[in-house]
Amino acid sequence: MLRYILRRVLESIPTLLLIVTIAFALLHLAPGGPFSADKAMLPEIQHGIEARYHLDEPLWRQYVRYMSDLAHGDLGPSFQYRNISVNQIIANGFPVDLTVGLCAIALALLIGVPIGLNAAWRHHSWWDRVPMALAVAGISLPVFVIAPLLVLVFAVHLHWLPAGDWVRGSISHLLLPVLALALPYVAYVARIVRGSTLEVLGTAYIRTARAKGLPAQRILLHHALRPSLAAVVSFLGPTTAGVITISIVVETVFGLPGIGRFFVTGALNRDYTLVLGITILYGALIILFNLLADLCYAWIDPRVRLE
Amino acid sequence: MVGTALAQTQSVARTLDDAPRSLDPQLTTDIPSQRVLDDLFEGLATLSIDGQAVPGAASSWQQSADGLTWVFHLRPEARWSNGEPLTAGDFVYSWRREVDPKTGSGYAQALSPIVNALDIALGHKSPETLGVAASDAHTLTVHLNAPTPYLLELLVQNYLYPVYRPAIERYGDDWIRPDHLVSNGAFALQEDLIGARITLRPNPYYWDASHVQLKSVVYFNMPDRAQAVLRFLAGDVQFTDSFAASQRPWLKSVLGDQVVNAPWLGIYMLAFNFKVPPFRDNPALRRALILAIDRASLTRYLKYDMYVPADTLMPPLVGYQPQHPAWAALDTPAREALARRLYAQAGYSPEHPLRVDISTSVQGADERHYFEAVAAMWHSVLGAEVSVDESEYKVMSQNRELHRLPLFLDSWIGDFADPVNFLQLFYADSSLNYGGYRNGRFDALLDRAAQEPDNTARYRLLEQAEALLNEDGVYVPLYYYSTRHLVKPYIKGWQSNLMDRNLSRYMYVLDHQGR
Repeated sequence: MLRYILRRVLESIPTLLLIVTIAFALLHLAPGGPFSADKAMLPEIQHGIEARYHLDEPLWRQYVRYMSDLAHGDLGPSFQYRNISVNQIIANGFPVDLTVGLCAIALALLIGVPIGLNAAWRHHSWWDRVPMALAVAGISLPVFVIAPLLVLVFAVHLHWLPAGDWVRGSISHLLLPVLALALPYVAYVARIVRGSTLEVLGTAYIRTARAKGLPAQRILLHHALRPSLAAVVSFLGPTTAGVITISIVVETVFGLPGIGRFFVTGALNRDYTLVLGITILYGALIILFNLLADLCYAWIDPRVRLE
Repeated sequence: MVGTALAQTQSVARTLDDAPRSLDPQLTTDIPSQRVLDDLFEGLATLSIDGQAVPGAASSWQQSADGLTWVFHLRPEARWSNGEPLTAGDFVYSWRREVDPKTGSGYAQALSPIVNALDIALGHKSPETLGVAASDAHTLTVHLNAPTPYLLELLVQNYLYPVYRPAIERYGDDWIRPDHLVSNGAFALQEDLIGARITLRPNPYYWDASHVQLKSVVYFNMPDRAQAVLRFLAGDVQFTDSFAASQRPWLKSVLGDQVVNAPWLGIYMLAFNFKVPPFRDNPALRRALILAIDRASLTRYLKYDMYVPADTLMPPLVGYQPQHPAWAALDTPAREALARRLYAQAGYSPEHPLRVDISTSVQGADERHYFEAVAAMWHSVLGAEVSVDESEYKVMSQNRELHRLPLFLDSWIGDFADPVNFLQLFYADSSLNYGGYRNGRFDALLDRAAQEPDNTARYRLLEQAEALLNEDGVYVPLYYYSTRHLVKPYIKGWQSNLMDRNLSRYMYVLDHQGR
């Protein structure tokens, strides 16, 4: 097991290096630079500023410089937000994304799994049809529709919850963003669980269990749940990384101080270091969560061997 | 319900359209930074409630007869937010820092009226040679290259605000973090959640602290304008920075007087490229395009009357006579007929139409529709084949700087209320002259104005320069900007002003019920 994890971690290093290199090249290929500003500067001054950030050097040297800083854990200064380092921006914003993302995934599982199980057990009944119809609606409704709707209903009209902002440790500020982010995933999880449970319920060993006269609850929770979760786990690996990283809409609507917005404005402003820093972080997250998913998968399904 | 007494809680939450680029006064020129810096710092002069330059850190000043030397007297009671006295030496340090190429300030050329500023910025001279001197702790002398009637307007720009040397020397780039930032304005930095929220608290050492009512000012970064509107409706913010024109009719119907639009010193226009065909050598063509647009309809139907149609460069300014071109007085049929004549004179016809793109940056559907309407007018009046080419802002601005675009979006928000700040956009050697317009007569008028000590005479020269631009058909004026705020009725102590700068220092909250 440990050897497997170690191997996967080592394998991820060249992947990350490749991601950084491609991102570096793409960013520098894009027209315009970080300091081509609204109020065009005198060329001499612009060159001076670019020299401060070594942007006047040949690209290969900038690349070597960036990589060597990276090896020391230094993601460099942001170009767009002067005086602030990329490390600072990530250290400030990432915990917010992580909190909102993990809470959303937890909520999606907490609601989605029971709904899916119930729908599968009572296949073709209203317990199946209504939640599944709602699930389709949930999947189809994008976050940028759900989030403002939630704000409109719960903050503007009912005044129950804050419309946005971030206060560390405040659950009321966390509720709406987590809900907005979780809703589509509740639907996904419910549908996946329903599908895989139906499959499991059709297998020989479940039929045996039923034939032995075991109570329904026991069959579902002890025999069917674990194998049906395998599908959810393989879905969760990339999804969790995605929920944490692509919550930009939620960040914008609720004014959360996460890093998703920096990713977008950084790209638009050619903030090379900021975009690279976040790219590395996102890449590492996707690799990490896929690894975790594989480990869970092995734990759930004894037929899977990691070696 | 709004009462007349002060509310128990004196705090205001405001929105910004984007995250401030930095809280270092010398490193930024963006509007969101300016908003926050206006509260944190104070220059020799500051802004009154109606946006005029009035005594700030300096209580008085004199200028010499030739207008080349100004002496500023700092308030002896002026202090930094840590209680240390604010001295003339702090200004000398800060201004040298602004022009020092090592600082990396992008807008050092704005200081060019000060002796040696430009040479220092270009690296030809050392920062110590800058024409400012502290004769004693409270007296600052400024030496100018030429009389600069707008010097006070310059002093209220954030890049001329003083910064606290010991903090910069001790903490380097980190001096702008809440634990380290020392400021001299009405407020001090309480918290900075980078990119999301900035909280200010009153600066107890501010010289006018007894008149500052607010106990807290919060700036939320809300690049999504619809989000700012929602947060305003929810009562989380009381003063927003902008909203989309297309939302205006709805907002007006829901919020009434809480929707505030007023003239703002800025113009939205298209500019012609003087370096490439078809506009380079064809004044008749340029004028035909300028004339063929029905600006009033565009602003009424596509901007919901939020903006004011523009026929010349300068927005209205006290004492200055904007140079409305003769065609502005024509009725629509006569104006269009003249446009068609010019178009034909320029060598174009229905069989041989002008084909050109309007190059703009991606700004959303509202802006696209606006330019599509402009293109449609050029098509219906002249028969020109015009399409709208949108690209990412960085791409558009690079192509614009490289003079690759024949017809492109150009807009300008005045740094200060002086025509020269607008006219410089067309000065041959200006880095802002994207169209590459070059007219010796125009440049000479600007040069003469720069040497003219009498402001009335100077304005007359600048008026001639503006008239010349219109004669040459250098740009397509479209509309003047307006400020666009949503403000709760219980927030007082602010006034719309041409610079759209509203210092929190003057604001207060009246007793009210509900949000």
